[in-house]
Amino acid sequence: MSIRYEANLKTVEFVTRKHFLKKCVTGLGAMALGSLIGGCDSSGAIQTLAGMSASPFTPKPPHFLAKAKSVIFLHMAGAPSQLELFDYKPELHKLHGQDCPPSLLDGKRFAFIEGVPKMLGPQATFKKHGESGAIVSNLLPHFSQIVDDVTFLKAVQTEEFNHAPGQLLMQTGHSRPGFPSFGSWVTYGLGSENQNLPGFVVLLSGANQPDAGRSVFGSGFLPSVYQGVQCRSEGDPVLYLSNPEGVSRNMRRMAIDAINNINEQQFREIGDPEIMSRISQYEMAYRMQISAPEIMDIKKEPESIHQMYGTTPGEASFANNCLLARRLVERGVRFVQLFHWGWDAHGVDKSEALNYGFLERCREVDKPMSALVLDLKQRGLLDETIIVWGGEFGRTPMLENRGGTDNPFVGRDHHNEAFTMWVAGGGFKQGFSYGETDEIGYHAVSGKVHIHDLQATLLHQLGMDHEKLTYHFQGRDFRLTDVHGHIVKDILA
Amino acid sequence: MVRFSPLTGTAGLLFFILSAFLAFSVWYGCETQNPETVDFNTEVRPILNAQCLACHGGVRQAGGFSLLFPEEALEQTESGKSALVPGHPDASEMMTRILHHDPEMRMPLESDPLSDKEAEIIRRWIEQGAQWDVHWAYIAPQPVDLPAVRDKNWPKNGIDAFILNRLENEKLTPSKKADCGTLIRRVGLDLIGLPPSPDDVRSFCADPSDEAYEYHVNKLLESPHFGERWAAMWLDLARYADSKGYEKDPHRSIWRYRDWVIHAFNRDLPFDRFTIEQLAGDLLDEPDDEQLIATAFHRNTMTNTEGGTDDEEFRIAAVVDRVNTTWEVWQGTTMACVQCHSHPYDPFRHEDYFRFFAFLNNTEDADRDDEAPLFSEYTNEQLKQLETLSARIDSLHQIKETSVFQTISHSTHEDVSVAVDSLITRTEQQKRDIRPVTTPIIRELAESEQRTTRFFEGGNWLAQTFEVQPGVPASLNPFPADAPNNRLGVAQWLMNPNNPLTSRVIVNRFWDQVFGRGIVETIEDFGTQGSPPSHPELLDWLALRFMNEHEWSVKSLLKEIVMSATYRQSSSVTHNHLYRDPDNILLARAPRFRLSAEQVRDKTLFVSGLLSPKLFGPSVMPPQPEGIWRNPYSNMAWITSEGEDRYRRGIYTYLRRTAPYPSMLTFDGTSREVCVSRRVRTNTPLQALVLLNDPVYVEAAIALAGRMYEQGGKELDVQLKEGFFMALARDPNHDELTELRNFYSHILDEFNRSPGDAAVFMETEETPDLHLASLALTASVILNLDSFVMKE
Repeated sequence: MSIRYEANLKTVEFVTRKHFLKKCVTGLGAMALGSLIGGCDSSGAIQTLAGMSASPFTPKPPHFLAKAKSVIFLHMAGAPSQLELFDYKPELHKLHGQDCPPSLLDGKRFAFIEGVPKMLGPQATFKKHGESGAIVSNLLPHFSQIVDDVTFLKAVQTEEFNHAPGQLLMQTGHSRPGFPSFGSWVTYGLGSENQNLPGFVVLLSGANQPDAGRSVFGSGFLPSVYQGVQCRSEGDPVLYLSNPEGVSRNMRRMAIDAINNINEQQFREIGDPEIMSRISQYEMAYRMQISAPEIMDIKKEPESIHQMYGTTPGEASFANNCLLARRLVERGVRFVQLFHWGWDAHGVDKSEALNYGFLERCREVDKPMSALVLDLKQRGLLDETIIVWGGEFGRTPMLENRGGTDNPFVGRDHHNEAFTMWVAGGGFKQGFSYGETDEIGYHAVSGKVHIHDLQATLLHQLGMDHEKLTYHFQGRDFRLTDVHGHIVKDILA
Repeated sequence: MVRFSPLTGTAGLLFFILSAFLAFSVWYGCETQNPETVDFNTEVRPILNAQCLACHGGVRQAGGFSLLFPEEALEQTESGKSALVPGHPDASEMMTRILHHDPEMRMPLESDPLSDKEAEIIRRWIEQGAQWDVHWAYIAPQPVDLPAVRDKNWPKNGIDAFILNRLENEKLTPSKKADCGTLIRRVGLDLIGLPPSPDDVRSFCADPSDEAYEYHVNKLLESPHFGERWAAMWLDLARYADSKGYEKDPHRSIWRYRDWVIHAFNRDLPFDRFTIEQLAGDLLDEPDDEQLIATAFHRNTMTNTEGGTDDEEFRIAAVVDRVNTTWEVWQGTTMACVQCHSHPYDPFRHEDYFRFFAFLNNTEDADRDDEAPLFSEYTNEQLKQLETLSARIDSLHQIKETSVFQTISHSTHEDVSVAVDSLITRTEQQKRDIRPVTTPIIRELAESEQRTTRFFEGGNWLAQTFEVQPGVPASLNPFPADAPNNRLGVAQWLMNPNNPLTSRVIVNRFWDQVFGRGIVETIEDFGTQGSPPSHPELLDWLALRFMNEHEWSVKSLLKEIVMSATYRQSSSVTHNHLYRDPDNILLARAPRFRLSAEQVRDKTLFVSGLLSPKLFGPSVMPPQPEGIWRNPYSNMAWITSEGEDRYRRGIYTYLRRTAPYPSMLTFDGTSREVCVSRRVRTNTPLQALVLLNDPVYVEAAIALAGRMYEQGGKELDVQLKEGFFMALARDPNHDELTELRNFYSHILDEFNRSPGDAAVFMETEETPDLHLASLALTASVILNLDSFVMKE
């Protein structure tokens, strides 16, 4: 092994030397090596680093002291209605069934509403909960019990009101494809604590993948090593993870040894440091083959935990994914991205209508997401883990009237001017609510939080300055927050 | 040295035109000037770009001061002071603020002050007249003589003179020539994307002369697989995919465009024609079918079919994409920056964006779900089927009229007549069922329906203001006087010999493909933020040759590159290489880098004997894991192809943008949602998992074992050597062979202990051939070697 060790050292030495010598034009020269590598070099150098050092996920120091180490992002694809869950508007009750006043429609663009729609009162009942007195609907009985652990953002804003662009903006900071996702940025900036698992894991539930496809967890122009790796409850937990049938673990070990031994001879002969990197990737692959199935197997969790989350081993359910998310961050995975599809409650289709499918979605997420918060808390992990919950936009206070006529079921149209998200753990306030909407939940009145603000704030809690987490591409330093984003200081503990 | 007095009010156009006539290039000036003279491009501009332009550039003009265009920099600022007084640093507010002792006043704000050296450069620059030089890339390439070299024997062509001259100046020597097997494998992978057959290797190694090499190169250039390899590069730029993108991401039939690209490379369509036909084939005089198909280049933009989307919003998104892509592909210019504001660093004004946009804003397509306008045609196969069916109908009619038929009894006659009629009806239905292949194409709107293009405030399509007229940026070559004022004119403007960028950008793309790194490393950005060329004279020499000597022939250009001594070096890396030039910028050795996603697949299938040589046709679906396609509101399914279509080259694999073929993604393939110039190469454990476990690769290993068995005779060592040779174009050395032999016997032991495993592995219900099963796992080891996935 000594020649491998030596060669690796040499490799790192070269990479390091090169980075220190390279003139750093973005003025981050004084930063720690990790950020220096992350922040101000051309992609060529990044590529060298990714290719040469033992792992591109080697933990890197943050820009400043971090409040949180990892993120679990619960993205409710399809955009749940804030008006049935968190943003209680008694006034909307009174207006129920009346024609929408023209002042609310003038100059507005809608995805489906045409002509004059009717106003739609809240389709749920609301009550105060916890010491904080947070108002939550009867559709989330479990979540109502943990309101004192979360911060509500009631006036979140986005520019997009179509699903694919909206999800892209939420997850990549841009509404067109081609940009790195949140998890890619975070693992690019911070690496990951566990080298035997991908640093950025994606878990899907609901009938479909997110509307914007894999770009919402793609690496955009960052090296593809930072793309989200989907872990699955059915089939291989990670694509191509299992040995071919009939090939035992022992045989695989022998194969990796043979490959690496020949590669090592080749390295002695032709001296390309890339070969050493290949050797370590094969070792990592072997370790991943052992650790990934272990972590994806929730059968061994105690019955009390299954009760708590409502999990059934073997399903691709949101509940199982919540439990997996806990297991992953527990083992040092940096970013866990969940998507739960099916929230697009227009009222056109029963499966998604507010009075049918939406209720099912609420049941599917209520218990597990609450259990996730409680479970992390009881393990002392909530402080260092950020949980974020929300859709790509919100819903209108108006009843959707596709094509100007009534829909068969009850639903609301897409709305981008105000919706609710919540965050928990990771140094955010507890039992707090930030931002307000007007009396019908249509416009944000105070405490507006744009998607870019949310992203900047989440990065801040991870110890990263969103303006300095950059990647030089096409002549400029790109960021998750594009040229926007303000940290929402009021919600930090 | 090209210098311009920054006269207030002088239009940028004037001095850029002047520059074209002053036949000196920037880097030449550096060598002859007084050492005291500050060089704008190499000394001043980097400081301005890094420290000043973010606030005083194209995006923001804080305090009414911008350093992007000289005429603006010399105007009075909002405070009434002059930021720059040429010749008088002490009277220049810029200098005062740079040196200010109060951090609240000092520039750049909220960051470290300029170093003494940087401040001194700025001071001397102002003292010497504060002159701007044009960035090298915006001055058309000028003829250069081949540089002198000491070692007269090494160079084989002009490329080598430039490379060797630089090496000699750096006191480095070129590497020895690559061995015959490595070289022939390298050139095969580079030119057609496939390795040589063992016979090719043996015959070349029997006579590795220059003539034999050239003969082999010519053969590769004539191969029908040449086009497949180079189309793989081009399709990333064209963002070619088999689906429309976004939520449902439905099927798009546009493979005829992919085939057009392959065919264009194969017939060596000159690059100027290649460009003009793709950008404006529809505007040519009486365009033929192929020229219309070529315009699908810009129909590869995404179409948003999600419910509740505004077609105009996404039509505009498509035009924006076309503008950005055109500039990236042909001009290496990051025009995307200019959608929202003037370019932060380069001489492109916000309005330039929409003037160019106006050229592309008048096509018929409008984000409609049906993707109109479409070009419809029958394939040759379909035409044959139609002919057969027509003939059958004719003969059925004839049967009805034959004498035999007329003579039979009346009732029988009626029965048969009904039967024949129904046959005719059925056959006619069969004819109608043969649907023509459609391809979305670009078509210009009629004069009366042309759209007015307006300026988008802040790049926002909902904030359109004043009307703009089509035009190209003043900072580049003028629009040719004889060119039509439309897309065709744009294409002609790009391919005009006065365009300073096109030929450089394109030769640099081909260089990047072969050497793994462009002469300008940032192949997508030739602007002031891009990397400077490592060999500027070579770049210009190649750019001019590509236009003049090669007359835009890609094959001719590539032949020149692969015939060079530079190309034919060994890729072994010495300590001195790693110490002096770890990134191999100077090319004292041949590059060594990982093959592309397509090449890894193609090479594995080729070596195992599975690869189908079939060219062209609709995209195919080789095996992929279950559950990859889970799009909302879509019932499209991955139906694994059968027969040889399972084993086609990677370029024919169906690409659905929201869920691309997973093993390709793992090897840095792209989703083709946007134009990608450079795939950043990575090395990850997931790649190891694909090569070890993906059923496609396992099947290939088993097939390779079969070939080793067939061709290696009875002796194990011969079989192992044969497999190694097929995969790596060389014999294994003693240690390698020992390693493989030992591995084989350990595996054989394992399988002997549990033959059931071997049966499962080989997917057989009969008694498994344990030798073959062990050989297959050994073949898998060979297919996983670093040397196998690298171009060496």
